[in-house]
Amino acid sequence: MLPLVSLTLFLPLVGAVLILCLPKPTARTVHGIAITSAALTLVGALAMWLQGVSSEGFSQVEELEWMPAIGAAYRVGVDGISLPLVLLSAVLFLVSLIYASSLRDRPRAYVALILLLETAAIGTFTALDGILFYVFFEVSLVSMYFMIAGWGHEERQRAALMFFIYTLLGSLPLLLAILGLYLGSPDPTFDMRAWIANPPLEGAAAMWALIAMLITFAVKIPAIPLHTWLPAAHVQAPTVGSVILAGIMLKFGTYGLVRFALQMTPDAFREAGIVVLFFGVVSAIYGAFAALAQTDLKRLVAYTSVNHMGYVIVGVAAAALTLDPAVRATALDGAVLQMFSHGLVTGALFFLVGMIQERARTREMGEFGGLLKTVPLLGWFFVLAAFASLGLPGLAHFPAEFQIFLATLGTTPIAVIVILGIAIIAGTFLKALRETFMGEPRDRWSEMPDLSPREILAVAPLLVLTVATGVAPSWVLDVIHRTTSALVL
Amino acid sequence: MNAVLLPILPPLIAALAVLVLRRGGAALVLAGATLSLAGSLWLLTGVVDGQAETLLLPGLPDMPLRLVAGPMTALLSAAVATVATFVLIYAVGYMKRETGQARFYAMMSLFLAAMQALVLAGDWVLLLAAWELIGLCSYLLIGFWFQRPEAANAASRAFLYTRSADLGLYVAIFILIGSVGTSEIAVSLETGDSASTAAGLLLLLAAMGKSAQVPLQDWLMRAMAGPTPVSALLHSATLVAAGAILLIRSAPLLTPEALLAVGLVGGVTTVAAGVIALAERDLKRMLAASTASQYGLMLIAVGAGVPMAALLHLLAHAAIKSTLFLAAGDFQHAREGTGFDQLKGVGRARPWAFAGFALAALALAGIPPLSGFFSKDAVIAAALSGQGAAWLVPFALAGTLLTGAYMARALRLLWQGSGETRAVAGTGWMRAGIWGLAIPAAVLGLAFGPLETMLDLPAPETAGVVAIVLGLVAALAGLALGWLVPVQRLLGPAHPWAESGLVVAGGLTAWVGRPAMAVARGCDRLEDHFYAAALGVGHAALTIARGGQRLEQRLYLAVLGVGRANLVVGRWVRGGDERGIDGLIFALVAGVRALGGRARTLQSGMIHHSLAISAVATAALFVVTLFSASLSF
Repeated sequence: MLPLVSLTLFLPLVGAVLILCLPKPTARTVHGIAITSAALTLVGALAMWLQGVSSEGFSQVEELEWMPAIGAAYRVGVDGISLPLVLLSAVLFLVSLIYASSLRDRPRAYVALILLLETAAIGTFTALDGILFYVFFEVSLVSMYFMIAGWGHEERQRAALMFFIYTLLGSLPLLLAILGLYLGSPDPTFDMRAWIANPPLEGAAAMWALIAMLITFAVKIPAIPLHTWLPAAHVQAPTVGSVILAGIMLKFGTYGLVRFALQMTPDAFREAGIVVLFFGVVSAIYGAFAALAQTDLKRLVAYTSVNHMGYVIVGVAAAALTLDPAVRATALDGAVLQMFSHGLVTGALFFLVGMIQERARTREMGEFGGLLKTVPLLGWFFVLAAFASLGLPGLAHFPAEFQIFLATLGTTPIAVIVILGIAIIAGTFLKALRETFMGEPRDRWSEMPDLSPREILAVAPLLVLTVATGVAPSWVLDVIHRTTSALVL
Repeated sequence: MNAVLLPILPPLIAALAVLVLRRGGAALVLAGATLSLAGSLWLLTGVVDGQAETLLLPGLPDMPLRLVAGPMTALLSAAVATVATFVLIYAVGYMKRETGQARFYAMMSLFLAAMQALVLAGDWVLLLAAWELIGLCSYLLIGFWFQRPEAANAASRAFLYTRSADLGLYVAIFILIGSVGTSEIAVSLETGDSASTAAGLLLLLAAMGKSAQVPLQDWLMRAMAGPTPVSALLHSATLVAAGAILLIRSAPLLTPEALLAVGLVGGVTTVAAGVIALAERDLKRMLAASTASQYGLMLIAVGAGVPMAALLHLLAHAAIKSTLFLAAGDFQHAREGTGFDQLKGVGRARPWAFAGFALAALALAGIPPLSGFFSKDAVIAAALSGQGAAWLVPFALAGTLLTGAYMARALRLLWQGSGETRAVAGTGWMRAGIWGLAIPAAVLGLAFGPLETMLDLPAPETAGVVAIVLGLVAALAGLALGWLVPVQRLLGPAHPWAESGLVVAGGLTAWVGRPAMAVARGCDRLEDHFYAAALGVGHAALTIARGGQRLEQRLYLAVLGVGRANLVVGRWVRGGDERGIDGLIFALVAGVRALGGRARTLQSGMIHHSLAISAVATAALFVVTLFSASLSF
């Protein structure tokens, strides 16, 4: 039996090492190697998908002794919560590398960073050991920092710095929480499965650990008021950086919220659930309003992420608050599917905004008009992605948000006001579509070329998956539901 | 294949085929619509024989999607397919000179498929999905000429209004699923008593958005910026109809309080929209206001507790209003516009279209033996029989009077005067479409008797002479007033206000739109403050870091120091027998050394780099110390 998870996990790293070891490779070779290793990673992730998950605990677990004296080991595996995120990572990194394949400015370092980031991302989602998780969590941070600082736009240094300090300081509390869980375990271990099966902390200790985790994950998700780094980072980040940042790295926060906060300190989370719910609702509504005020397309998409991630927080909080296992399963189904859908849809949106920026050197909505006429393929792709993002049925966000709201009403009826967010986001995207893509085409942009094959290859798979997830969500939900329906808190 | 899919799949496949092939739009889509019509008629005959078809499709966990062909759903499906088929026949002529036909036909076909899914939906999730998808289709079709700013605005407004109201449907569905434990509509209806008034009011909100009830009526008139076949489909059998269909289907769930609210909203709308229609200067906008007014009549019937009457009026209105719009489109092509100024005397030049228009106008006014007479009679009888008759009857009669008045005014304006008329291409197709719908608009009333027995819904008990007389008097009085009295005289001082659409204090834009934008800008300003605060913290950190070389040097030394300490620990451990840890420590030491090395090479003078690296080093230090510490346990 092949160690599928480890293979999938380290294939990108192997690609990165290979690229760095080759003496003076051409850009073509570099991109070829990168795309090949990402494609093989996707094959690995698909093989993992075919293996599937069982309803109890983790599947496809691989373990190697590492530091037996302190109970840390190399442990990886997946369940219905992490497997969709692994698949999402494999898809998004592959299309990102396809998109980046035209890059001629220091391509070696750039794609090596992307590949390193892919290993870190898949590692974060598959790690079953506290230390291992933390290492992957931090490594991703460093690679993203260098991507923004090295290949971003005008004010990249400042944005990268902000991103770095924010998220680094943000992740220190998690380290303390992990230590707390470790020290609290009766038989000290970093095995996350043990922490989940028998939550080691109780009472005030559990609450402190939860607060520490919530700070870390709130920065990462990001939740109001710890979200300030996000628009700044997105505006300056290169397109691929934005796609990965929004598509994958925000999920570290929400994934941690489920895996750590909910599963390892469930009682404390239930007590504090109403507070978390409150922050989720505020994030979702505030993010929607902030998006509505934007005139810069990229900032607009960045703020819709705050809104969509707010729904995930609401879903997880509802799962913590409810006593009914069926409602909890619905809430978590929605929250996990929302992470998956957001990766696809926001990934596509950031690609499309990046494509506009590369052509026009601006992202101000007011400077455009009638782009549907000028660049029809780009325009209609954007329309599709925008309607997906505003939660239209038949597209990926609808089933997720439906389940989140349904569970919320079943738990804390008043919190269902969060649904106002979907009307505000609708207004946001309608305004953007009207000003950018509809109306009279401007002469200024009449020479603008439509999508190239490379760009189509980057964005079309995401849109196809968006439709597939919206029309027949069961292909993802079956996997998620197997775990969430058997979850004991 | 299950027969329930027959009305849905052909137009869906046709839409996708047109999108892929980019050609042959009209033929493919017409074939799809015809098959859809055949499928729904097949379902209807099956239902008459007493067999309901059900199909389960995979949906959300524990909430499968469900299609049901019962008496009412099959009947509505047939109505939708009929209107769509004739509208598409008409469109072949109407759209002859347009570019972007593939897009037009694909969207129309998708619209039909989504509407069929809506009427055949047997569970709330599918109903909601179809409900929103017809919103998308109408957005794309109203905005078909997206280069025109007014079309872009109208499309955005239509989607935003209906979507905001749709939140009501979302929450109502959550309440219903929560109280019944399943998403199946039939089960919700059976245990309807448990549903709260809140759910009923939320359903009403959703229906108000789609059916353009006051105060959400404004989008419908602006939606006239789209092609006329779109308006015909939108107003008669799809988007706007969805609101009334929702209330008709969920009528068993409505509590007396909710019913009262439904009736009042319908009553206010039928009068207000009727007045707006009377004052309109544009034929298509007049027809749009009339649509809102007629749906107000249907809501009166639902509110009176007789959904059957609302359904009959819905069916009659579907045939009538599509005929009116299609004829208006014919006039539009003849005169390059739809303002009444431009259309003076166009009736004489386009007799076939005008005859269809007049027939439908009289039907809508409620003149026997045309279909509208029977359906309006049913509505008035319903208002008389139900609770709140004192409220509902005056509204219903006023609505009927206004209908007669604005239709007569339109007929007069279209007939009197004369003017140049251009030759119109595709007249044959258009004529076929108009008359294909005008005939049912005339004779549909004859089918109402059998329909009532088939549907087995409670009909008004006292559908006697009182209702007929009241209705006829109101209709004839309206027709006479509209034909004889100029509208300025008829409305008096209220005329300018009616012409502006009865806007109260700036309308919804002032009440909802502007405050929402103000909140959004407030959030944006708050963002700047947040950002400044975070930046302040960052600057403080930078100041500390400006200790510069010295700090860097110390850090470097410290890193090396820890490395050495680890070496010592490593040697100490080697005395023991733990090879794994052994290896790890050496790896760590090597790592820390390498980091130290990097620290030296990367002292580039770029402050942020140094800071970043210090931060990484600190984190690494933290981990290393942690390991060393845990070893000594």
